[in-house]
Amino acid sequence: MADQNAPAAGRTYTCPYCGAAGDGTALSCPGCGSPIDVRSIVSPAHWSEAPGQKDMAKLKFGDSICQIEGTYVPVADLQLAAGDGVYFAHHVLLWMDGQVQVGAMPLKGAFKRMLAGMPIVMTEAKGPGRIAFSRDAPGELLALPLQKGDAVDVREHLLVVATHSVAYDWFQTNIWYKVRIQKGNETETETFYPVGMLMDRFTASAGPGFLLIHASGNVFVRNLRQGETILIKPTSLLYKDPSVQMQLHFEHPSQTFSFFGGYGQRYTWLRLHGPGRVGVMSAFEPVEGEHAQLVGFSPATETRW
Amino acid sequence: MSDGVQNQPGAAQAPLERIQCQWCQGQNEKTATSCRFCGAPLDVRNLVSESGWREAPRLRDMTEIHFGESTCQVEGEIVPVAEIHIASGDSVYFEHHVMLWKEESVPLTTLQLPGGIKRVLAGMPFIISVASGQGRIAFSRDATGELVVLPLHPGMELDVREHSFLLASHTIQYSFVRIKGLANILFGGQGMFMDRFVTASAPGLLILHGYGNVFERTLKAGESILLEPGAFLYKDSTVTMAVQQQKLTSGFFGGFGMSLAKMTGPGRVGIQSMYVHHASGE
Repeated sequence: MADQNAPAAGRTYTCPYCGAAGDGTALSCPGCGSPIDVRSIVSPAHWSEAPGQKDMAKLKFGDSICQIEGTYVPVADLQLAAGDGVYFAHHVLLWMDGQVQVGAMPLKGAFKRMLAGMPIVMTEAKGPGRIAFSRDAPGELLALPLQKGDAVDVREHLLVVATHSVAYDWFQTNIWYKVRIQKGNETETETFYPVGMLMDRFTASAGPGFLLIHASGNVFVRNLRQGETILIKPTSLLYKDPSVQMQLHFEHPSQTFSFFGGYGQRYTWLRLHGPGRVGVMSAFEPVEGEHAQLVGFSPATETRW
Repeated sequence: MSDGVQNQPGAAQAPLERIQCQWCQGQNEKTATSCRFCGAPLDVRNLVSESGWREAPRLRDMTEIHFGESTCQVEGEIVPVAEIHIASGDSVYFEHHVMLWKEESVPLTTLQLPGGIKRVLAGMPFIISVASGQGRIAFSRDATGELVVLPLHPGMELDVREHSFLLASHTIQYSFVRIKGLANILFGGQGMFMDRFVTASAPGLLILHGYGNVFERTLKAGESILLEPGAFLYKDSTVTMAVQQQKLTSGFFGGFGMSLAKMTGPGRVGIQSMYVHHASGE
């Protein structure tokens, strides 16, 4: 009879969330921290609930370790090995020991980023030493391990920390609409970017890498097939594979519909086209200017009831 | 085992028959499921990260805590409420904005504080309210977080971030200290005040509210850790606090400074994982 305590030779386990292969003997996936041996929870509408890491789950990247602590506003506590490095926006730093070397990592396109309200400098930290991060909202920390060549698009401001091996770039979302707003006797036009003017793109070009993002509320993930589409509240978008395309979609009751004259009663959606993964978060901001008169928008479709 | 004898009311229990709370070191009867003094569950592991931070115990819904002749019941888990049944002769004090409800019969008075003007200038409450027994009163704070129950043994001194204390029992002396070194990090030069809680000869109960999750670490003498100032929640008065500037330059935008609070042991330091970011006002 086989010894039950022997290492699980030949046994394989593939994490349903990040695809990392292992032998399934650890308590949590070393790639993304999700519990092992827990059946995926999938709603009838095919959204999978991100598993949430067990308290004190440990993730491994390079020679370093990340421990996720707490459940309301979780902390990512990194033990950086010598030679390993990470970068982050400085406002997510919680604590660090005196050993860690911190410095600035300049980013290209600084002026454009400044205009878009994005950080123009990322802070980098080099091991050895310990450093920890958290963000100021109840929610989940989601680990996105990237294999060499993988890329993921993440909504702006949600990055907590990424390894040096992950290249950081961004692109214009081209998702916008312009509305006319009455302020006293004045009429102004204002442009809104419901998923942000820019979106972050992380690519593991040099080798495998790892990034942590913070979602407000709970996270739900869905894998869209080729040609499959889904409408989501634009502000709930968390991340997507680069293969997933985005487009605006408006719905109106037919009585009030007119692109250039319609008031109120308009629903603004973001249509996502497969193939690829999409992630949404359950606590999201209201869509700004949704009930004001539309005067222009990025390519969009519409439905009248 | 002589369970029958040990469980008889009034039977003296051998020290080994008691369960020591891993959070507050209180001694509990072996049948207890949560600590009588701080409410921490007694049957769960002490969660300590590899870097040495200990997670404040998640209090079970409806956990009961005893202090003096009074009891405190912790209700709810996302924004927990501390409901106090104050016994006759006991009292608790608190900042008025944390009060949730009270029975009409519970009398309220105010605690006389020195240095009132200075406190008002610093944005601290001028008045600390006192509720006396006998009756029920309940407290909560307006954000997701944890209640940190800190039973104070005689002779302890604890410094707490201002506005973070939910309530303290009357056996604890209240004062405040100003941290001059952090003036420029916090509150634009007004200085940072901290509440200081001191126990003389009698023990007392102090309940704090931390935003998000709360972690504690005990620093050895001379050991230090750098904190984002907004994360600081409490410390033993033996822990010193100083500012450390981190200069970050990008080369072409001139860079910026990041101020961290350097905490040096010996003593405990408590932090919260959701914090006010003073530099950006977020």
